[in-house]
Amino acid sequence: MGAKVLGAKCTSCGVVSYPVRSVCPNCRAESFEDVEIGGKGKVLTYTDVYALAIDYETRYLRLAIVELEGGQRVTGQLLGDDPKLGKAVETTIGIVRVQGGKEIRGLQFLPV
Amino acid sequence: MNPVYIAGAGMTKFGRSEWSLMKLASVASLSALHHANLGEIPVDGIVVANMGAARVNRQTALGSALVDQLALYPATAEAVENGPASGASAFKVGCQAIASGMADVVLVTGVERMRVVNGLEGTDFVASLAHPEAEYIYGVTLPSLAGMFARLVMDRFGVERKHLAMVAIKNHENGTKNPYAHIQQTVTMEGILTAPEAAVNNPPIAEPLHLFDCCPVSDGAASVVVVSESVAAKLGGPKVRVAGIGQATDTHAVHDREDPTDLKSVRLASEKAFSMAGVGPSDVDVAELHDAFTILEIAESEAAGFFPRGEGHLALERGETRLDGKLPINPSGGLKAKGHPVGATGVAHFVELTWQLRGEAEGRQIKDAAIGYACNFGGFGNNVVATVLRREA
Amino acid sequence: MAHVSELEASLRPPAMEMPPYPPKVITLASGEEMVVRQVDRKEIPTLLEAIYPLLWVERDFYDIVAARLFGELLAFKRYRVKDEYVLAGLIDGVLAGMVNGRLVDAKTGMSYHTLTIRRGLRVGSHLFAAKMEYHIEHCGQEEVLIVAESPIGFRRWMIEYPLEKRFEVQHELGGVPSWVLPSETYYAAKPRLVSGRRPVSEELMRGAAGIVLPAEETVVRQVAGEKEEAE
Repeated sequence: MGAKVLGAKCTSCGVVSYPVRSVCPNCRAESFEDVEIGGKGKVLTYTDVYALAIDYETRYLRLAIVELEGGQRVTGQLLGDDPKLGKAVETTIGIVRVQGGKEIRGLQFLPV
Repeated sequence: MNPVYIAGAGMTKFGRSEWSLMKLASVASLSALHHANLGEIPVDGIVVANMGAARVNRQTALGSALVDQLALYPATAEAVENGPASGASAFKVGCQAIASGMADVVLVTGVERMRVVNGLEGTDFVASLAHPEAEYIYGVTLPSLAGMFARLVMDRFGVERKHLAMVAIKNHENGTKNPYAHIQQTVTMEGILTAPEAAVNNPPIAEPLHLFDCCPVSDGAASVVVVSESVAAKLGGPKVRVAGIGQATDTHAVHDREDPTDLKSVRLASEKAFSMAGVGPSDVDVAELHDAFTILEIAESEAAGFFPRGEGHLALERGETRLDGKLPINPSGGLKAKGHPVGATGVAHFVELTWQLRGEAEGRQIKDAAIGYACNFGGFGNNVVATVLRREA
Repeated sequence: MAHVSELEASLRPPAMEMPPYPPKVITLASGEEMVVRQVDRKEIPTLLEAIYPLLWVERDFYDIVAARLFGELLAFKRYRVKDEYVLAGLIDGVLAGMVNGRLVDAKTGMSYHTLTIRRGLRVGSHLFAAKMEYHIEHCGQEEVLIVAESPIGFRRWMIEYPLEKRFEVQHELGGVPSWVLPSETYYAAKPRLVSGRRPVSEELMRGAAGIVLPAEETVVRQVAGEKEEAE
């Protein structure tokens, strides 16, 4: 644990870019500060993927795009049963991929 | 901007090939060059479209490789990579050389030889177009992006699995009329959806998308020769004009799109292409769309302007997009049946449209086709090139 | 039945009572109907003829599957393997694929091979499921030992059912650590992975009475032409 997912908050206009950018899409400024991405939200869409890439040996992977309170959207792995459009979730950090023996942490969504 | 014409078109059969990457590219290139029948007119440059050779085939600098294969040196040469839209982007680059006056004859060849690696490696290679930190690390693959998109569109506009099946059935049928198509096999609604056996015949890939909603992995190459007005006049014969090209981009991560059900780049790129061509969607006689997933044929047909938003599946239901319909879509079989060698696909669109506009698409000829449209869908809709071709007398 | 000499009888393994596989018919994605039925010893030479050209197709491990399957089928025909069975899938009477295995004892089955000839229609998936159905539902076994010779086989079977590791057991195919399909997993996966209708109509059975081989060139092109399941 201790891992965080970071977005970039524009120091001029406050708009958050996640994933991060080098130029603010809102005001074109080029200076940002780190901001932690996460919190409560709703499932915007999801899918169970069976045709997986290398590194995965599960039968399927459940992915989702979640819209967080405050409007920021994120992509991650949806945990729990009974997925639904609009389902209330909150983010957590977990192991999302093991690449070349190395564990990679990222966003997972837990039903609230 | 000078006028640009397509003088020749050719392709290899798409599917599983034992030929090397360069052999595929050469065969398609020579086919197009012979079709153009340039005689003594020299080729000024070549542009190669490819997405994965560096990773999958361990080969780079494909422009230099092909110019040697074809003994065209010292002509200009480079490769263009724009993910699944590499083909149309390379075509755009070739056309720009003609339009600017910097060249009179440019050969554009798209090629991909993906089947040297297994399905898992292949899926991962294509997934590399996703955002590395915000998408890829989660196991996002292109089918997963299409699955999430499909769920939203189906929920919002009432598109059902049977509509997706109709796209597959139509394109498979068209594919059997195209000797170059990868898949030469018709499928039925019973076999892929309604029979109990459909669960095994058509298993989920990225729900709600199933096996028969996804195009195959293919090897192949496709090639066109673009020329200036003066060369076109010298060559005589039917004239296929590149009437309009438009390109538009969008956010990298799909979750960042303004409206994740809206193919905005398709709409913007198409508007630019139609505007340059001076025609509208209702003038189009035949369209080649990018149906890497069946849902995309429906969504692109709306975003391109052929049908109102949310009604593409209704037009499909009415049979309007069949070979004998008002607006035939994917007479070639589409990516679904023709196959999808990634770098070749965009160029293959122009090969099919050229044949259609010249009356040379035997077995699947659209009567009196005069204006054609193609959409090459890069990334997951964040980089789209749309093109309008027109037959001139 | 021909008289079996004492010497020949001593060279044959003892045979367990094995129920016949009841034929079924499956609608494929193309709308075509595939009859799945058991193959008897008289028909083995025809299957050997189909497999023979594949001995030299390196792609996707077809060569090793064909070579091993050839030996297994010949051994079955000549009564030199204990309690083997062979099932074939026929579309309009034309061979689309075959599967085989044997019963180790009343409780345990040993899956051998799956060879698909007609590609692109999930024939291999259907036939693999049919042989699991035979072991567990018709022979009443508790589990089937399985290995895969290709990575795609691994995904289709080990991951999809899913199978459990039984690595302390060496599978007869080269002593490779074995996986196992327990009957509970079979029944849980059945709605998803096993299909087909019984009984098969008289007309379809008549059409499937013989085994017609596709042209050799077709078989090699089909098989070498695409990545598909070969165990």
